[in-house]
Amino acid sequence: MIVCSRCSKENQDHYKFCLGCGAELPRQSGKPRTFSADTPSGTPSSPGRTTNAPQARAAQSGALASAPQLEMDPASFQSARSEPIEMADPLPPELAPLGDQTWPCAHCGADVPENFRFCHVCGHDLHEQASGKAPADAPEERVSAPAVADAPQPATVRARLLLIQPDGSEGESFPLSASPTLIGRSTGGIFANDAYLSPEHAEFRFEGDQLVVKDLESLNGVYIRIEPDVPIELFDGSIFRVGQEILRFDAPIALDSAADGTQHMGSPHRGYVGRISLLIGRETTGNSYPIPPHGIHLGRERGDVVFLEDGYVSGLHCRVHSEVGHVFLTDIGSSNGTFVRVSNESYVPQGTFVLMGQQLFRAEY
Amino acid sequence: MPGKARLIVVRGDEAMGEGLSYLLQATEHLAGREAEQIPFPSDTWLSPRHANFLYRGEKLVVRDEGSLNGVYLRIRATCPIQVGDHFMCGQQLFRVDATPKDTSGPEADQTYFYSSPRRPSAFRVTQVLEGGMDGIVCCAHEQSVQIGREECDINFPDDVYLSPKHARVEMSGDSLELIDENSQNGTYVRIRGEQELRHGDYLFLGRNLLRVEVTA
Repeated sequence: MIVCSRCSKENQDHYKFCLGCGAELPRQSGKPRTFSADTPSGTPSSPGRTTNAPQARAAQSGALASAPQLEMDPASFQSARSEPIEMADPLPPELAPLGDQTWPCAHCGADVPENFRFCHVCGHDLHEQASGKAPADAPEERVSAPAVADAPQPATVRARLLLIQPDGSEGESFPLSASPTLIGRSTGGIFANDAYLSPEHAEFRFEGDQLVVKDLESLNGVYIRIEPDVPIELFDGSIFRVGQEILRFDAPIALDSAADGTQHMGSPHRGYVGRISLLIGRETTGNSYPIPPHGIHLGRERGDVVFLEDGYVSGLHCRVHSEVGHVFLTDIGSSNGTFVRVSNESYVPQGTFVLMGQQLFRAEY
Repeated sequence: MPGKARLIVVRGDEAMGEGLSYLLQATEHLAGREAEQIPFPSDTWLSPRHANFLYRGEKLVVRDEGSLNGVYLRIRATCPIQVGDHFMCGQQLFRVDATPKDTSGPEADQTYFYSSPRRPSAFRVTQVLEGGMDGIVCCAHEQSVQIGREECDINFPDDVYLSPKHARVEMSGDSLELIDENSQNGTYVRIRGEQELRHGDYLFLGRNLLRVEVTA
């Protein structure tokens, strides 16, 4: 961790420039770092959606590589990997955060594991709930708004999409006004030359204080980075991205027995809760992996599904497992994050990383 | 020729018991869940009429009677295999599949599809789960897919019927070959139509393992 002497922002060791103010950072020898003891969900303590997430992001955002065309210094992966990462071993189901560790959802009353950010039944935001319950002192909110010296924005600008460059620094910013804003190859500017963006790709709009993105049935979709250690439910057909890999979750199917009562022969079915497959074309999949109830881990070096050749995947990256009859995806402290494809539309909380086409953005408002 | 061959149930139907042997004295011997000559009443993986053992002149053959799950013959070292064929190793059932066509060309509106990086692959091996759902899919890296208990392309550490390195499917030239790596329990391939049997052959009908004995 390098603390910027000018604006006090914390930056990752391999950054050359401060993520906050752009000042040149002193080179630092590779001292072992401790991963910020951030527990984004276990102890919800600050109000609102921004809670402590920006800290977590600030600590990690720089290593974000976004798109397939980026090349990143392998050293940065080395340093990212040196973080002590918990959960080196698959958690047996009995250790999964259930049992006493649930609390009732204020909206629908369901028992929700305490580390869930959203109720898995109704989607209610439990951080809001937590903040009402324990309005503790908020950890330092983002002190300095990113000092990107753009030209004065018109008054109607309510948010910005900040382009995150391959080295983790911030690039151009794209203003979002209060009225719906269309993004796509046809809207020009920073989007014009991205062949992975549809001409009309997505629309951003505000609902009250919340920024919302709607995927305009684009070919490649809109992906949102999920918070580390917060399980996100997967549904049949859910698509997520890890490094350069696009994966689809499929719920299990059972073929009927033949009319004469003969059952389909096959390998032992270990209670698989579905499977994930690499998407290698529009309707085509490559390697696939069934998911046993206790789950599987994905990573570059460790885990059940290993992507040896994908330098954007962390040693141990994310986990897919089942709990209370549902299947969840959890990022387990990866450097570059785990992104979930937006199904139709989604809220975009302040500070969220959004992947569209070949480019990565952070939503600021 | 009739009467010269027999079938021994090496592992099989609980209701019928193991070690049963059937002397093949008639011209046809039907095996299946509801067959009279060679019945396996409690094996739900067998079709009512599953397979037929018959003589063709001097030869004993087995014929798949259009069963749902097929008849599997233990291979001797290697055997040619084609896309769509099924084979068994240990408790695991697999299918050989073709690599799907590349569909990465641009759309009409010139948008390109973003997919996971495609690694060249000649074919793939798909695990078929009990109940019919596909399980593991492993695209061949280079020209082969190896299956076993450890350090293979597809590993089943818990399958005690598998050898550490059990079998592999390999592309040589334009054709595929199934190769048993001297495994202890053998590799079985699903037969197509009718298959000649020899002394010492092993067959799987559903969960039943049969040995063929032909007295000279």
